[in-house]
Amino acid sequence: MRYTSFTSYDFVLLAQGLGVSLALFLATTLIGLLVGTIWAVIRFYRVPVLTQFITFFAELLKNSPVLVQLFLVFFGLPAVAKINVTPVEAAVITLSGNTAAFIYVIAVSAIESIGRDQIESARVFGLPRWQILRHVIAPQAMAFAVGPLTGLLVNQLQVTSLISVIGVVDLTKIGNILNLRTLKPFIVWTIVGGLYYVTAKLVALGGAKLERRLRAHTAWKGL
Amino acid sequence: MTFDVTILAPHVPFILKGALLTAEACALALVGSLIIGLLVAALRTSSSAILSRAAFVYVDLFRNIPFIVQLFFFFYGLPEIGIYIDAFTTGVIALSIAGGAFSSDVIRSGILAIDTGILEAAEVSGLSKPVIFRKIVMPIALRTSIRPLGSVFINLVLTSSILSTITLNELTGSAKIVASDTFRPFEVYAVLLIVYASLTYLVSLAIGALHRHLNRDRMPDVA
Repeated sequence: MRYTSFTSYDFVLLAQGLGVSLALFLATTLIGLLVGTIWAVIRFYRVPVLTQFITFFAELLKNSPVLVQLFLVFFGLPAVAKINVTPVEAAVITLSGNTAAFIYVIAVSAIESIGRDQIESARVFGLPRWQILRHVIAPQAMAFAVGPLTGLLVNQLQVTSLISVIGVVDLTKIGNILNLRTLKPFIVWTIVGGLYYVTAKLVALGGAKLERRLRAHTAWKGL
Repeated sequence: MTFDVTILAPHVPFILKGALLTAEACALALVGSLIIGLLVAALRTSSSAILSRAAFVYVDLFRNIPFIVQLFFFFYGLPEIGIYIDAFTTGVIALSIAGGAFSSDVIRSGILAIDTGILEAAEVSGLSKPVIFRKIVMPIALRTSIRPLGSVFINLVLTSSILSTITLNELTGSAKIVASDTFRPFEVYAVLLIVYASLTYLVSLAIGALHRHLNRDRMPDVA
């Protein structure tokens, strides 16, 4: 008996892989958003040594392949620190760090996009630095950042496919498994690619909707 | 375990051989993606609705599907239809096609940024469409989009690390071999991270210099 034909169970496998990919994408996006924003706030407060360190670290993360970062965390960390790192943990650490580095850049430029006159007048009114950040900068910076953020997230969704290399059973790994079993690469990789494509389109659509909502207050309402 | 980089000294020639392969693949893929990018950008800005739609579908597909999936599609798929080529050629083809999608977007916006007065003047002078494209549109669009093309190329260099998954021993692939030879994965991948980061930093410096050189006569506008 040969097992080269597709079965209905393969759909379950694909759905499972897509679920793993999506879960990791969402988790690392949330962690990356949090960490990246914290880094940007640290820069906003101009904390002496930390700011320079973060800028350097983010630059390093942005300018090296995610694959090498993954290998460093998955193979390197256990060897040097004598700790166990599972593939999923390594994936979460690496992807979160990578996303955070890019979000840091977006957040910094979003904060800088707000005119100095606004910050100065807020200071004249006696608002402390934290309230300026919270009530003056954050709402406007958010609307500014959604556009680039959507582009970044569409990109990061595709970066999640790399974690299949260290053995996380995500959509690409499922594609690999099906490919080896059925020996029908065109069908398998077309389906896998199609699933990624649809997901990326949904992310882009959601981002565009959110941007319209956040920018609604500046839209022309008519007379 | 301590952090000791000197242990890698005997493996430097081997790593350099991998780096050379990376450089070769990137150079070939740069040429390939520039040619594809120019062609597709010409199609996307053409007056024919069918051609520009077709070009849009190509760009949309290859930008929204992970590179590793595209790579597996070609690597496992091409032998299926009777095309037997080695991993290096497959990698360069896949990199060129993916890079072409990104660079066509950049070149397209360079074309759209051209002052329509220039094109009207060219048409009035009686130049044929191909001549206008080759002699007027292309030089202007390419020199204004040198900087974004540079970041596409840097991305290409980082993406080339994925070629190690299809048995190609480029920089990342040979580092993987060294890591399993020496049992010092952390040192190997940390050094690799720095190498990639400094490599892309040098590329971005070169791009900046090239940009300034090409646009030296209109410095105030673009520099």
